[in-house]
Amino acid sequence: MGAQEAYLIPALPAAAFVVLLLFGKYLPRGGDFIAIAAIAGAFVLFFPVLADFLDKANGTDFVSAEKSWKWVQFDNFEIRLGFFVDQITIVMLAVVSFVALLVQVYSVAYMRGDPKYGWYFTCMSLFAASMLTLVLADNLLLLYAAWEGVGFCSFLLIGFWWERRSAAEAAKKAFITTRIGDVGFLIGILLLWREAGTFDITEIFDFAERGGFRDADIGGLGLSGNAYLTIAVLFLFAGAVGKSGQFPLHVWLPDAMEGPTPVSALIHAATMVVAGVYMVARMFPLFVLADDIALDVVAALGLITVLMSATMGLVETDIKRVIAYSTLNSLGLMFVALGSGSVTAAMLYLFVHGFFKALLFLASGSVIHATEKQDIRELGGLAAKMPVTAAVFGIGTLAMIGVIPLSGFWAKDEVLHAVDQHRSVVLYMLALISVFVTALYMTRLFVRTFLFEARDRVAWGHSHDAEPLMTLPLVLLAVLTAVGGFVVFGFVGEALGFPGGFGKFVFFEDPEPFDFAWDVAIFSTALAVGGIVTGWYFWSEKAEPARRAGEALQPAYETLRNRYYIDDAYQWVIDRVVLTLGTIVAWFDRNIVNDTAVDGSAGLGLFAGFELKFLETGKLPNYALAIVAGVIGLAVLLLVLRL
Amino acid sequence: MIPINNFLVLSSILFSLGIYGVLARRNAVLILMSVELMLQAVSINFIAFAVYLSPQAFTGLIFAVFVITIAAAEVGLALAIILRLYRNKSTANVDEADMMKW
Repeated sequence: MGAQEAYLIPALPAAAFVVLLLFGKYLPRGGDFIAIAAIAGAFVLFFPVLADFLDKANGTDFVSAEKSWKWVQFDNFEIRLGFFVDQITIVMLAVVSFVALLVQVYSVAYMRGDPKYGWYFTCMSLFAASMLTLVLADNLLLLYAAWEGVGFCSFLLIGFWWERRSAAEAAKKAFITTRIGDVGFLIGILLLWREAGTFDITEIFDFAERGGFRDADIGGLGLSGNAYLTIAVLFLFAGAVGKSGQFPLHVWLPDAMEGPTPVSALIHAATMVVAGVYMVARMFPLFVLADDIALDVVAALGLITVLMSATMGLVETDIKRVIAYSTLNSLGLMFVALGSGSVTAAMLYLFVHGFFKALLFLASGSVIHATEKQDIRELGGLAAKMPVTAAVFGIGTLAMIGVIPLSGFWAKDEVLHAVDQHRSVVLYMLALISVFVTALYMTRLFVRTFLFEARDRVAWGHSHDAEPLMTLPLVLLAVLTAVGGFVVFGFVGEALGFPGGFGKFVFFEDPEPFDFAWDVAIFSTALAVGGIVTGWYFWSEKAEPARRAGEALQPAYETLRNRYYIDDAYQWVIDRVVLTLGTIVAWFDRNIVNDTAVDGSAGLGLFAGFELKFLETGKLPNYALAIVAGVIGLAVLLLVLRL
Repeated sequence: MIPINNFLVLSSILFSLGIYGVLARRNAVLILMSVELMLQAVSINFIAFAVYLSPQAFTGLIFAVFVITIAAAEVGLALAIILRLYRNKSTANVDEADMMKW
């Protein structure tokens, strides 16, 4: 099987979805084995695609594989449905298919006994199919369709336990918030199409490189070709902001933790939320061709997200929400990397983040499963009861902090290195500060959950490591988290059959061979260790220093607890502006459109019919008289007109 | 030759009598007869104009024959309806045949 047949990868989970949707309730175990077989098949199919892709490459010169079919045709304009494999796709396929497989296996144990067990696997299959299509799409229209598909699955799965009002609200919030970005994304796609006349990504690149974006006049606003392109890519980026939870559309991701934990691991950590990063990396040639402001915006929003999420993580008490903030933190770093012009760093971070963040979520799922608590104020001391979970969670925590030699270290260093080289020293300093804050809150999370005395003795008493079906994915992910970062080294890549390290596989324009920057590594390690030590000081034992610090910095603490009041601000806007406007529109619709225009004209007809029906007496002489009178009338009219 | 005005006056009188009969009578048979009067008034017009305007052609005369034929058919139909009405309502008074009203 060659790389052109990569379309079979999403086809398998898609087929599983159809089977489960139609026959799921007649199948034993809700048909979970079909979903898992399909995603396992997709994971297996990834290898021949990878092998074929590497075979065709000549050194670091890769040949992307394509296959497309005619989708829609209007006159001489046609839209094609196509799949496309290049290096970025390969990285995404590896992460998505592998993590999806592990998460589904884990879910078998985690979701056991749930009344909607079969429906869960149906949604998961649809998600896997959409996500894999998104990764493989060769044109923006198909990408957008898959993009909405994953958003819809995210909505279904966040609201999986919709009987809980908070889950239903969170699902709605996630869907609406991401839609705001998606509208921008669609506008961006249409702006590109308006000039280039095609949705095909490679053709748009060719068009842009030829200087095809000419001066345009939009609604009387004269734009230079470059400004037009810049506006278009900024709209594309709006989609990424929504999907990847960047400031100011980050509010949905912490709330999305209402979904089952494996869902958070797969959708809200490893795959869907990185779709925005993937999309920007995929469209990167356009971002580079556009004005510098485009990448400045990407870097700036990324950095704002990093700093906000890291600080909010310091005071959050829900174990999953802390990890959600760490996800925002990581996503922000990926955008900082992209904004600094390094696709390599962003994709490397995305790759290892998929493993260590899925690990953290799944491990927290084990904790929640065992204790039925997810507030870290009620946890503590679990390491004694759940040694395996504690160990893998520890590995994930250290990877997130970026401790050498775990995967997170290499990826984060690539990002910092890119910022150091291509961005101002201020950005670099801020990024380094975020490393310290990350270490601080991740240490807090680990210490408060797993070490020292248990604050809820009952929950602690009945907790234990999960069954092998849940532990196995954790261990696999922990191994990858530990060693995954070594792909940056040339010899590791070559041993795996790649032409060299990660930088010689995924790059923009020129290969970026791994270049270990001692200064960056020393700074970041010092800050990470400093963060861990400080965190330990603050939150070990009874966490007295942290409590005192919280009291001393009461306003700051309150601001962070209230998530910088951004959610409140949005709520205020919705309550006061959106709902007021909505009330006016609803009044207009009810009274003017419905009651007056629609019901009014219908009522007029009814009234007229009622009144006029009495003219129909049924008496012959009346009709005869009317006829005669009519004829006489006509005759008189004729006479008058003649005269 | 009798001036054409005489024929026209005659047919107008007949037609007016017919209209009066249709409007004023209540008995269905009488209304039918009044309709016949109107039809014959039209026939007279046809023949008079045919003779005065184009004596060689038979168009007007043929029309008159048509009118008579149609009148006969119409009478057959109308009498059947009136008969049904009488069977159902025991009257031929058109004022009482108002089942088709609102």
